[in-house]
Amino acid sequence: MKDIRQEQFTKAVGNAAEINELLRRYGVKFGIYKNGVFNEQFFPFDPIPRVISAEDFKSIEKGLVQRVNALNEFLFDIYHEKKIVKDGIIPEDFIYISKGYLAECEGITPKNKIYSHISGIDLVQAKDGVWYILEDNLRIPSGASYPLIARELTRIAAPQAFEENEIVDNRGYAQLLKETMEHANCGGIRAILTSGRYNAAYFEHSYLAENTGSVLVQNDELFVEDNILYHRTYSGGKTRIGVLYRRISDEFLDPLTFLPESLIGIPNLMEAYRSGNVGIVNAPGNGVADDKGIYYFVPKMIKYYLGEEPILKNAPTYLPFYEQDMRYVMDNLEKLVIKDVAEAGGYGVVFGRDLTKEKLEEFRKTIIAEPRRFIAQEVIDFLDLPILDNGETVMRKADLRAFVLSGETTRVWASGLTRFSRNPDSFVVNSSQGGGFKDTWVLKEKE
Amino acid sequence: MKQVSFYYSTKLTFDDYVHDHSFALRIIPPETETQKITACNLNISPYVSTQQTKDAFGNNVTAGYLKGDHRFLDFEIKGTARTDCTKHRTDYMPCYLYPSEYTKPDGELKEFYGEIKSKCTGTVQDRAEYLCDTLSDVMEYQKGATDTATTAADAFGLKKGVCQDFSHILISLLRLDGIAARYIAGLAFCNGETHSWVEYWTGDHWEGIDPSNNCCVSDDYLVISQGRDFRDCAIDRGVMFGNHTRQLQLVRSVLT
Amino acid sequence: MSTISKEHSDRLYWLGRYTERSFTTLKALDKMFDKMIGKSHVYKEYLDYFGLSDTYSDSKDFIRSFLYDENNPNSAAYSLERAYDNGIVLREEISTSALSFLQMAKDTLKRSESSSNTRFSLLPLEDILYGFWGSVNEHIYDDEIRNIIYIGKTVERLDLYIRMKYPYESVKKEYVRLLKNLRRVPKDTPYRYSTKQLSELEEIMGSQQDYENGSGRAAGALAHLFETTEVFV
Repeated sequence: MKDIRQEQFTKAVGNAAEINELLRRYGVKFGIYKNGVFNEQFFPFDPIPRVISAEDFKSIEKGLVQRVNALNEFLFDIYHEKKIVKDGIIPEDFIYISKGYLAECEGITPKNKIYSHISGIDLVQAKDGVWYILEDNLRIPSGASYPLIARELTRIAAPQAFEENEIVDNRGYAQLLKETMEHANCGGIRAILTSGRYNAAYFEHSYLAENTGSVLVQNDELFVEDNILYHRTYSGGKTRIGVLYRRISDEFLDPLTFLPESLIGIPNLMEAYRSGNVGIVNAPGNGVADDKGIYYFVPKMIKYYLGEEPILKNAPTYLPFYEQDMRYVMDNLEKLVIKDVAEAGGYGVVFGRDLTKEKLEEFRKTIIAEPRRFIAQEVIDFLDLPILDNGETVMRKADLRAFVLSGETTRVWASGLTRFSRNPDSFVVNSSQGGGFKDTWVLKEKE
Repeated sequence: MKQVSFYYSTKLTFDDYVHDHSFALRIIPPETETQKITACNLNISPYVSTQQTKDAFGNNVTAGYLKGDHRFLDFEIKGTARTDCTKHRTDYMPCYLYPSEYTKPDGELKEFYGEIKSKCTGTVQDRAEYLCDTLSDVMEYQKGATDTATTAADAFGLKKGVCQDFSHILISLLRLDGIAARYIAGLAFCNGETHSWVEYWTGDHWEGIDPSNNCCVSDDYLVISQGRDFRDCAIDRGVMFGNHTRQLQLVRSVLT
Repeated sequence: MSTISKEHSDRLYWLGRYTERSFTTLKALDKMFDKMIGKSHVYKEYLDYFGLSDTYSDSKDFIRSFLYDENNPNSAAYSLERAYDNGIVLREEISTSALSFLQMAKDTLKRSESSSNTRFSLLPLEDILYGFWGSVNEHIYDDEIRNIIYIGKTVERLDLYIRMKYPYESVKKEYVRLLKNLRRVPKDTPYRYSTKQLSELEEIMGSQQDYENGSGRAAGALAHLFETTEVFV
């Protein structure tokens, strides 16, 4: 049944040339630097939608809400009492060697105790249909704007597909985001902070500003006076900002608290934030919760804070730090994927099967010498998705970034960003690596 | 117990007008178990409205924003305090056990620690004092060899430095030895400059130690701020705009 | 009242100027196309408007440069590119749809380069640019902010009309349009014009004869009407 729907839709949308032409026209681009030169590229759209059944989505939704709630509890705990460490659930080292842990944020309580307002949780579906969490992105997850605008356009191109299929309307993301920002608002206007048009995700920054009715700002338009954040208006006045959805990293946020050499930050923003005069979305310091080393402990967090069994599974992960796990890792190294906790962005990821015998032995020694530095995971057998390649359907690796918004309640956007790899041998679905994206259909429950 | 009076001033002068000048000062001594502030007066010129907060490490932060053109920023603080080093502070944070920006040990520092490790025994206090002794044997106090950006590893490579460097290296060694340690910026009875020293965690409370003088901390020390290293304790940090190329800073401090 | 920064207001002004520059350039080149039929080097007249010397081998070469060469600061392609540069950071002020007209204009111009009939292939460009203005007009709700982009547009048009030696009546009409825009500028904004330059303009525009004698001065006064800085991207 699923295939029929997809086929109908694909036929209606055609070879995607039209949609891609429209996406071009609306400026759906991302920037990349190649040899030091800034280039804007179009993010290629594939017409075959990913379809998620109502039952599947219901359980993903429940699992994601549970996971993000636990992560928010964890962040509050870590920056306050640290009960989870004191109770021995997470070894102290894992917290404090994490680059994402910011001691400067100790004791700060964001409004409503919410740290991760917008969480981008990456999932993959295995061949047996089970969904696994691949990683949590609680800092500045991007990508929501692409499926948003794609849906807008595919509804024009293939209205019958939306008539014939019971697809949940995903176009409420901007409203959801606006409500989430309002919930974090400490009194004032909404603003989205960008580092400028040469940021890879600039399209998204400006598109979300437009659609949430927020002001898109850069640091030189802002200042903090008497611990209140202001937008400097063109007529020489000032407008108070109550919530700042910042799209720059923690360490650049405030040169008087973090990196002194930051040129894109706002001096004394942290003082305004600490005083409760401005909401920062997402809260600074969240990196401690989406760290590779902490990922292992998320199911334990769910049990610890919520007293519930985790609904969604982590990819099976082992910590050589624990003796039992170390034994397993040593016995199965050649079939595992090993990740260096301190590295990010695809670096420090090694597949055991790619190593020669000597390299494997060498690596074994490194793990024994520094067990805390690594995590090991089973390689998941991804369910490949069909994509259209020059008129032919081919199967490719794909993941799903689900967006979970925490405001009054925690809600999962009934859509998400499905990214696929264009290279048949690649597991990398990153847009900067030449990947593309698809629309993600969540089907309505049958009445 | 001792009654002390303190004075500290900084004059920042720019060679051209600056504007939109944001600053954060960590200059008002905190009220703690070991020091009661009986009087304290902060003056900033030109006049600017400021706000007080307490940062993650328990420091008093004075934040301000000078919008219009100006060529200088002066601030001075005067006050009195009662110091009592027989009392103990207990504001522990786990981050003090882990390497920080300025105190990350390099190969040389780790090797040095490896060599002396076997002799570093006894109570936490014994070990801290032993590390401090060893340090004063190998390091020479010398001005001008290092600056405020010098890390523990760099200064140890030079075997020279000032109080900031001595403190960073000792913190680095203490943390290697599994003892939590923090950087203290303050005033002491010395030569009219700010001083810095170290506090280590005994398992129960903080204990002060002065590595550049290789002695214990007495009532003649007044804490201004504390943190993982110098970066958390900078007395003034600022960002300004303008065509200036240089800024001149004059500092004077007295503790009597 | 929406809040808009100095940086964005400057960009609005320059968006207005560059969009208008590409529009008027296209119209002027279209006229030139017609004049060039059967004649060689008539485009020298166009070059004279901007004080440029004839370095072009033929009409085709001239047209190619003034339509498509992004390195020629007087070309339609250059102005459109600058308009887009200013527009892209104003998405939430002018809307995605207004911005899409600029992308379409760029694409249409680019496509026309390989067309067998240039004038024919450029026809939709005029519609697209009108569409841009309609979209901007619809979207910017705040009169004060909308006025900024229109000031940019009118200043540019007046400047080009003077340079291109348009007849007095046409120039006067645009001048009156500018006056109307300026009257809407509230006190205490960066878009306060120089009254000295405005009275200079007023004097020159008073009669056809004064205008014909003083068009050079008029262009100068216009250039200094706002001492606002251009934002480069």
